[in-house]
Amino acid sequence: MAGLAAAFGSGAMTNSIAELEDADCILVIGSNTTSSHPLVATRIFRAKEKGAKVIVVDPRKIQLVHQADLHVRHNLGTDVALVNGIMHVILANGWHNQAFVDERTEGFEELRGVVEQYTPERTAEITGVSVEDIRTMAEWYAKARASSIVYCMGITQHTTGVDNVKSLANLAMLTGHIGRESTGVNPLRGQNNVQGACDMGGLPNVYPGYQAVNVPENREKFEKVWNAKLSDKVGLTIPGILEGLNSGSVKAVYVVGENPMVSDPDIHHVEKALRSAELLVVQDIFLTPTAELAHVVLPGASFAEKDGTFSNTERRVQRVRQAIKPIGQARADWEIIQDLSTRFGYPMNYESPAAILDEVAQVTPSYGGITFDRLEGDGLSWPCPNSEHPGTKFLHAGRFSRGLGLFHAIEYKPPAEVVDVDYPFWLTTGRVHVHYHTGTMTRNSPSLHEEMPEGFLEINPQDARTLGVKSGDTVRVSSRRGEVLVRVDLTTRVRQGMVFMPFHFVESCANILTNPAHDPIAKIPEYKVCAVTLEKAA
Amino acid sequence: MVEKIKTEVQQLLISGKIKGFLGLREQHGQVGPYLFTDAQDLEGMVIGDRLKPGDSRYPLNKQLMRIARCYPDEVFGVMVRGCDERGLRTLFGSNQLNPEKVVSVGIACPQELADACECLKPFPDEFVAGEPAEARSFQTVAKLDAMEIEDRFKVWLAEFSRCIKCYGCRNICPMCYCKDCTLESRDFLAIGSLPAENPIFHLTRAIHMAGRCIDCGLCNEVCPADIPLRTLYKKIADIVEEEFHYRPGYGEAGTRPSFKILGEDLQH
Repeated sequence: MAGLAAAFGSGAMTNSIAELEDADCILVIGSNTTSSHPLVATRIFRAKEKGAKVIVVDPRKIQLVHQADLHVRHNLGTDVALVNGIMHVILANGWHNQAFVDERTEGFEELRGVVEQYTPERTAEITGVSVEDIRTMAEWYAKARASSIVYCMGITQHTTGVDNVKSLANLAMLTGHIGRESTGVNPLRGQNNVQGACDMGGLPNVYPGYQAVNVPENREKFEKVWNAKLSDKVGLTIPGILEGLNSGSVKAVYVVGENPMVSDPDIHHVEKALRSAELLVVQDIFLTPTAELAHVVLPGASFAEKDGTFSNTERRVQRVRQAIKPIGQARADWEIIQDLSTRFGYPMNYESPAAILDEVAQVTPSYGGITFDRLEGDGLSWPCPNSEHPGTKFLHAGRFSRGLGLFHAIEYKPPAEVVDVDYPFWLTTGRVHVHYHTGTMTRNSPSLHEEMPEGFLEINPQDARTLGVKSGDTVRVSSRRGEVLVRVDLTTRVRQGMVFMPFHFVESCANILTNPAHDPIAKIPEYKVCAVTLEKAA
Repeated sequence: MVEKIKTEVQQLLISGKIKGFLGLREQHGQVGPYLFTDAQDLEGMVIGDRLKPGDSRYPLNKQLMRIARCYPDEVFGVMVRGCDERGLRTLFGSNQLNPEKVVSVGIACPQELADACECLKPFPDEFVAGEPAEARSFQTVAKLDAMEIEDRFKVWLAEFSRCIKCYGCRNICPMCYCKDCTLESRDFLAIGSLPAENPIFHLTRAIHMAGRCIDCGLCNEVCPADIPLRTLYKKIADIVEEEFHYRPGYGEAGTRPSFKILGEDLQH
């Protein structure tokens, strides 16, 4: 989100999901859409049916490739180079939108200076994508009436995650495919409410509505409303918290709805850090591997047991309604937090989720007109600044949130860890269709468990032959950080020299292997690339 | 239209002929199934036309089976369109519902919906609301039948390639009531990858729809991959009628013509 915020001034999907249906060209990069966002995939299917060109950029042959007019398999972590190469071809052929660049953007000359270096030949050498395919992508994307970019974790989970996002923003601005219906740069958010969690200030550097904590006016505003003294310091990211635990500067951790013992890179390191906490409190709906380490476990209520709102990937705020009363001692998260706060000496007395949303509207300009009574039916997409406002379908019409769109001239940087003699295979990780993240919910579902009871390693049949393993054999996968045993699945979904593992399975945990090296700005770890070695397990 | 249904339901509830009426209700801007039990409180009852005719239908008979299992001695009313009535008859015939315990309240579908559904009979035998629309033939099937068989096969392989194995088609189906489902059997179908094993997953379901599918089209509506399942099952129904002179739900309630599969007489 940091990348989009820097380029456009707002970190969210620029357009709505349904608009994808009417795009003429859709560039899907780093998103296994049918597995992870199937209802977004529906819109891509419909666009294809209406004649749109679908370009899938993914090192793996994912299901969406069946619908693609062009599938490009670039080398892991070479997204910046690829997008620079596409922009090089667009500029060389004059397919860019000069009027849009002149009127709506700044920083173009610097961008041009860098992009000029990325000739198709040089780009092909870095990315492994043919000169012809680079040219085709550039032509289809630039020349379409309305082109949309769809991306996900394949773009962000890199040490160059923010650079990757900025590059996609560059491409959209260069061609003027932003600020109009069925265009835009569209990050797909995974959890039903991850957009909402970010909107509410669930980030170390902002209050609700992305109001920076280190801007004095923002702090004063919140101090007044909350009648409390607030810090002007940016908080810690997850890597920062783990480092703090190791160095002793962090003593206590309160984890709500996260499972870092499965989801974070380099699990051995995570476990050591969490075990050194003087107090570890975990609030979740099941006893996760992280909760097993906790001194105190607070049972949270599930979606079916509580009232409130979720804000989805297209910035749409929707009601969730209590279907059953919380089971056992479970309570809604807001009630637990409210009680904790009261015991810490800052009494909170919200009557209901509706009362909390009223305060959200009071302090968050983009949520200013969102109240429970307006959320019947399909809900509202922010920005929705006042009670008359109908919500916003797509962002940046006529003007970017930051004023002018900002081009970033970005050089390609290789991943933090590359293959070598000791670790000759590229490992990338991702999701499967039946499991979600660390499986806290999905692995507790008997039918989903039945569909996929255990983890696996995708390996190209040629590589399997060289290693002497057959389908169903178990291999030992080792990286510089640890090793796991996992069953192999022989498939041409991955190319030679590259393997894939889903990260849902604690017993064959991909994140024992992954590299905690992270993006300098967003602090997101490089889950998508690391180097491993394989051997047949006895 | 809904007022006529309400009047009928009110009388049925007041007279004590039914314990409850399974229909649709609009609440919070959404339509969903609802069991009305109070004659004085039929607030919010709708027939399932939200933005266009029939766009908010549900497999009410499937819900009715669940309710009937919990209250086997009670009589329940249920809202039926032409397809739902065919469903009831077929479920009576296979002993999934007891005709003595079900009172149907019929509505006839408007022409727009009958056209979209290519419905052979867009109204139940008896209905309290709506005007009977004209029947329509299966143009979607005719179009595919006109193709060479190899091309037809390619079309279906491409359609099935979008399947995300959500089981939505089976879960919404008012005629799917088996306790053990072949689609979940590892002996028959591969697990763990997308698309669902192609074409076996969908062809297996299609075969199981023979003698069962009553052409309500909910599978087609619910499919997030827009696979034209209804067209596939319409073709299956045509084949069954050709071979066995039987189309589910069109005969008298509880009857099924005598036909043989693998030499076994199904009519005992």
